[in-house]
Amino acid sequence: MGEPAIISVRDVHKVFNGHTDRAVTALQDINLDIGPGEFVSLLGPSGCGKSTLLRVLADLTSPSQGEVTVNGKTPRAARADRDYGMVFQQAGLFDWRSVQRNVELPLQVAGAPKDQRRAKALEMLELVRLGEFAKHFPWQLSGGMQQRVAIARALSADPSILFMDEPLGALDEMNRERLQGELLRIWTDVRTTVVFVTHSISEAVFLSSRVVVMSARPGRIAASIDVDLPYPRVAETRTTPEFFAKVKEVRQVLHAAESEQAPA
Amino acid sequence: MSAATAPAPAATGRGARLLALLPARYRKQALPVAVTALLLLGSWQLAVAVFDIPSFVLPTPTTIVTAFFDDVGTIMAAFHVTVTAVLLGLLLGAVAGVAVSLLLSRFASVSAPVLSAAVLLNCAPIVALAPIFNNWFGVTNVMSKAGVAAVMVFFPVLVNTTRGLLQVTPLHLEIMESLAARPRQVAFGVRFPNALPYVFNALKLGSTLAVIGVIVSEYFGGPAQALGVYIASQAALPRFDYAWAGIFVSGALGLLMFGAVTLLERLLMPWHASLHEESD
Ligand SMILES: Nc1ncnc2c1ncn2[C@@H]1O[C@H](COP(=O)(O)OP(=O)(O)O)[C@@H](O)[C@H]1O
Ligand SMILES: [Mg+2]
Repeated sequence: MGEPAIISVRDVHKVFNGHTDRAVTALQDINLDIGPGEFVSLLGPSGCGKSTLLRVLADLTSPSQGEVTVNGKTPRAARADRDYGMVFQQAGLFDWRSVQRNVELPLQVAGAPKDQRRAKALEMLELVRLGEFAKHFPWQLSGGMQQRVAIARALSADPSILFMDEPLGALDEMNRERLQGELLRIWTDVRTTVVFVTHSISEAVFLSSRVVVMSARPGRIAASIDVDLPYPRVAETRTTPEFFAKVKEVRQVLHAAESEQAPA
Repeated sequence: MSAATAPAPAATGRGARLLALLPARYRKQALPVAVTALLLLGSWQLAVAVFDIPSFVLPTPTTIVTAFFDDVGTIMAAFHVTVTAVLLGLLLGAVAGVAVSLLLSRFASVSAPVLSAAVLLNCAPIVALAPIFNNWFGVTNVMSKAGVAAVMVFFPVLVNTTRGLLQVTPLHLEIMESLAARPRQVAFGVRFPNALPYVFNALKLGSTLAVIGVIVSEYFGGPAQALGVYIASQAALPRFDYAWAGIFVSGALGLLMFGAVTLLERLLMPWHASLHEESD
């Protein structure tokens, strides 16, 4: 990327329970630059530190060592400025709020006036194709619909970055593939930078412009692989030889990274 | 929301409309419950006749109903006095419980020991305080009855509300953190609404506790017209059919209070999970 990085991670280490006998090195020597508009997946086996890295970027936890900048600021300042939106594996909707009021939440917390909140929430619900469910309550929606509401919520305050931690992990395969397509369509629309955590190789390849492969114990970046399949990617993309080749390449790197640290 | 999702039953009239507001699980059971009650009353009536039980041991339901209509003016006046004390006690206990809980939840370190103490205190028979409250407030003062009810309501409300305020979904807190929400926004946006179902559970329990507290307190003396006083004095005369009429009305009062709280819950929390059964 010739452009200046929107996210930059320098020599980050993260140790949980440091100074105790239960110390866990979750991240070691992490260096990563992400340019504006990229769709980057963090891919790796369970426990390799993907969530921890994402939470460091989002200032939900702080690194033990190293420097992180988000939008040219500290993660704390970026969070305070609501530069990013976040989606988790569980939708985490608020039962007592209507779908529309759930989407309004970031704007409400930011103190936006009521009619502006409303208009923006409805626009976001149209974006995720749930316009007619604005007045419903979360319990009336399926898991996939709830996750689309969570995406609408994360985008409602117009963040320049979207952090997603296995957002489709709780869905069945059919819904999952459909939402992957939806997500790409939304990304093309809003043009945010996306950092997407997953442990699915095909999901990472289908979605991302770049796949960052991580290895476990300690969590490290093993490789960064550009995915040069052209956008827009559609259902048929999954059946192209180029797609298969990329999946194979990523799988090999992932397994190589795993076997490298296996003897230890 | 509720109007759209809950199909109203075919019956019309005020009673039917009130019934339609109740959660489906109560509505569906209305008929079986009524049938069971009728069967019980019928076998009661039959048993008294067949075994020739003397009326000072157990009067028949029809005698009780007759006694009720014979003395309906006095009984309803007594009902009015008692219901006032129950409502006042419930209100005071609920407000105090929620207020102390809000205070406690701000200081997580003290909340655990205080809660344990509350649970222990709640094991004590609080109605035993009735003579003391009579002494403090005066036997005819409504506060001597409402006070006992309030103390009985206070503990479950305190314990439950605190639970509701503290047992928040961690993900919800994390989402608020990612939005850089202020503590006040977390309190109003997450903790209070999360606690609401807990508060209502405590209020349902409290509504029946308050009735017990007031009636039993009135057994120790109270204003000339009060249900507990009426029951005790009729039993002493002895006019057991009239005493039983008073007992039935106390039972109806307990049901009424519980129903009112359930109705309020439904009106204030149309989203609540336990109210969703209509969807199936
Ligand atoms: N709050 C925490 N306290 C202690 N250890 C943690 C904590 N969070 C994560 N870990 C540990 O850090 C490692 C990485 O976890 P995580 O980032 O959740 O992995 P992933 O998201 O890739 O599955 C794991 O070994 C995990 O047990
Ligand atoms: Mg994770």
